[in-house]
Amino acid sequence: MPETWRLVDVEFRDDPFMNLAIEEAIPRTVGFGKVPNTVRFWHNSNTIVLGCFQSASLEVNLEACKELGTDVVRRFTGGGAVYHDSGNLNYAISLKRGHPLIPTDDLQLAFQRLSEGTVQGLRALGVNAEFQPINDIQVNGLKVSGAAGSIRWDAIFHHGCILVGSDLSILAKVLNVAQVKLADKHVASVRKRVTTIRDELGRDVSTGEVKNSIAKGIEIAYNVRLQNGELSGEELALARELYDEKYSRPEWNLGR
Amino acid sequence: MKNDQTDLALSEGSTLTADYKAPGGKLVRVMIIEDSGIIRRAQITGDFFLLPEESLTRLEQVLTGTKITEAALKKVVHDFFAETRAQSLGVSQEDFVKAVISAREPD
Repeated sequence: MPETWRLVDVEFRDDPFMNLAIEEAIPRTVGFGKVPNTVRFWHNSNTIVLGCFQSASLEVNLEACKELGTDVVRRFTGGGAVYHDSGNLNYAISLKRGHPLIPTDDLQLAFQRLSEGTVQGLRALGVNAEFQPINDIQVNGLKVSGAAGSIRWDAIFHHGCILVGSDLSILAKVLNVAQVKLADKHVASVRKRVTTIRDELGRDVSTGEVKNSIAKGIEIAYNVRLQNGELSGEELALARELYDEKYSRPEWNLGR
Repeated sequence: MKNDQTDLALSEGSTLTADYKAPGGKLVRVMIIEDSGIIRRAQITGDFFLLPEESLTRLEQVLTGTKITEAALKKVVHDFFAETRAQSLGVSQEDFVKAVISAREPD
């Protein structure tokens, strides 16, 4: 009998700060044992999401963001800045710590395991997706997805974003990419290192279609059954608290 | 908007910065205030992973007061990992040391 995980589609497309508050509320509540292991799919519109250790002023072109109406929000996990718009699909996996699928003493292996569902889901769509250490998924040598994660609050947490049909020209305008980062990639810009599922498939593809395929990929990769669910009252209350005290505040989002 | 880097620049001593790329591609960005070869203040940013996340602040604290030599930095970084039992991905203990050592006065 496969294990049942909860599937939630809770999102605030025009409030990235609330989206990131929910992103933290779920693993905290899962770790507390109050809700089942959970997969969440969600979208942001026109937002930069910074890694928790990044400097906003170094990584982000704040002037371009102002001009283009791009919000900047910091997540609680490490890794690099990503650009989200409605053509980008986000997924998050929250498991109670100790889950037999995921080692906690080998972070690289944990990242790889936690990316397997997404890799399988993308392959089922017909793209040649491969996990690329440290935390990327590539298609034909170009990055299509980046992931981040943590182990805390008695939970294992992993989230990633998938460029389904994002506007890569805006991405290149709002994110600064350090020259040293590009130095050995033999390409001049971030625009040439990334691709979208749409471009790789050569057809229009919705984030909904990709979501369904990844949900299926997760079920197969981890031998689980996903069951639609809602956030608990406790999770929502915690998300509102995190929103008020952390994610809506410039001190958190732009502070470092 | 309050900006840490402006605060750093106003402190006494000279400001040194580095963009250090670790093997594997992760970036460690260092900004330190140095006075007489000693770190007076340190800020480390970047796209690496370090668990628990709060431990980065501790690393910045223990770097403060450290002499900028490979031996001294190695010891401080090693002790930090031993004390906090922090786990890193995309950046090693050695990378933190090399990143600080590579800090130079900005152009």
